[in-house]
Amino acid sequence: MVKKMSDHKSFTCIGCPIGCPLQLTHEGLEVLEIEGHQCNRGAKYAQQEFRDPRRFMSTTVAIDGARHKRLPVKVTAPVPKDRVVAAAVEIHRIRVTAPVRLGDVLLTDLLGEKGVDVVATKTMERV
Amino acid sequence: MLGRMEGPYDVMVVGGGPAGLAAAIGARDAGARRVLVIDREAEAGGILLQCIHSGFGLHYFKQELTGPEYAERFVVEAIDHEIDILPNSYVSGIGLDSDGAKRVRILSEHYGLRTLTCRSVVLAMGCRERTRGAIRIPGTRPSGVLTAGLAQKFTNMMGYLPGKKVAILGSGDIGLIMARRLVLEGCEVVGVFELMPYSNGLTRNVVQCLDDFGIPMHLSTTVTEIMGRDRLSGIKVAPVGPGFKPDMSRERTVDCDTLLLSIGLIPENEMSAGLGIQLDVTTRGPIVSSTLETSLPGVFACGNVLHVHDLVDFVTGEALRAGRHAGEYALGIRRAQDNIRLVPGDNVRYCLPHSLSTGHEHQIFMRCKEPMKPCEIIIGDIMRKRLSFVVPAEMIMFRIKPDALDQFQGDTLRIDIRPLQK
Repeated sequence: MVKKMSDHKSFTCIGCPIGCPLQLTHEGLEVLEIEGHQCNRGAKYAQQEFRDPRRFMSTTVAIDGARHKRLPVKVTAPVPKDRVVAAAVEIHRIRVTAPVRLGDVLLTDLLGEKGVDVVATKTMERV
Repeated sequence: MLGRMEGPYDVMVVGGGPAGLAAAIGARDAGARRVLVIDREAEAGGILLQCIHSGFGLHYFKQELTGPEYAERFVVEAIDHEIDILPNSYVSGIGLDSDGAKRVRILSEHYGLRTLTCRSVVLAMGCRERTRGAIRIPGTRPSGVLTAGLAQKFTNMMGYLPGKKVAILGSGDIGLIMARRLVLEGCEVVGVFELMPYSNGLTRNVVQCLDDFGIPMHLSTTVTEIMGRDRLSGIKVAPVGPGFKPDMSRERTVDCDTLLLSIGLIPENEMSAGLGIQLDVTTRGPIVSSTLETSLPGVFACGNVLHVHDLVDFVTGEALRAGRHAGEYALGIRRAQDNIRLVPGDNVRYCLPHSLSTGHEHQIFMRCKEPMKPCEIIIGDIMRKRLSFVVPAEMIMFRIKPDALDQFQGDTLRIDIRPLQK
């Protein structure tokens, strides 16, 4: 009898509120089949999640001279899932002074990841 | 930012969150000339300003924005529409003149106490969180017990953390989002406890906020005691049996210094009630016609003050409509009174608006009582709609086309959700 080589992985799609349960069948690093998705995003998500799981993230940094003490920021491209907490620690080192405009780049190539920048998500005037 | 602050205005909007800003824009689009938004905070944007995560705008802007980005787009658009925004101000009452004009009494940091007149008003005060008192958790009264949204404001705007070792009661989306948020800020989140046998938040939030960080969710479990003298020292939790009664024989202690409550939202309608506006006992928001007008002529309502939404995009859509109707009202345009009552039936917790009129298209918002899949929404005998699933955490939205009501002879339309055989 031939030994079956394929393996299964289960994911829940986070592309939209439906949250499709996804089943990915693979042999080593090769994806054989993806089931359970109701749209293309699910298939893409399962592929990405299998090969290189990544997440967008947002947090805040310290700001001086503004109405509030924290400035909200986000990354412009997703970071590896297992480096999200490390990314937050790195971002929290940033300290800025008002005024800041929405979209201002505060840090480039976060954790050495090419193209992952940290940008302000709010305009904060000097008060 | 400040307007001329002289009366009379065409439309005045109470609250400068996403609902209020969109309502003001809707009113201008309808032709109202002078529109004023009054907000109690130092800047408009409402609760979006503390929701720094992304996930907003997928429906309305077709892209994923963070809360502050979504808010800023609307503030800019409001200014482009020449809408006056009055911050640091509070509406303390609304009076009615015999000619139908409204006198709005405003307590303002800058202007003191003022009364301005307008033709129509839009209520957009939003909602507030249910607190410990609402579910009467036994125990002591230490510090460290707070609502998830308050913790969010502390963390994201004011710059201090609510604690170090956090438990969360309730699996609403704010609670789930805060679980992830606090982990990123270096806190330990020991678990989320949910009374119901299913999550009250979106599945995607359970996955990306809890599962990603290994935070356990305990379903059918509730907090049975709060412990600690000055500061919270721990909580007791127990699984619940039939009738949500905690099984005290299986009670256990959870070590934590902070308890966040994410146990529901209540539309903020004290002022509406004071004006004598009729409220719906289920939504706890005003009863509204198909133009989102309350029982007080010329006073409209939209956003979370009307019913609690789960997506801001839907708030925006609803508020643009309310604002448009308020603008038309201010210009003297009146629609014939609604002639059909819309009432909830099987497995429908509520449906809005409360009445419809023939000859118009209608946008219906509703929520189910219990999860069901697959199922069918049955709107009297005029329309049926199949859905693969419904859950209480997700609002159901659909349109009724004008011609659908043409054949309808009755005065009451009932909506039911019934299971479909696969």
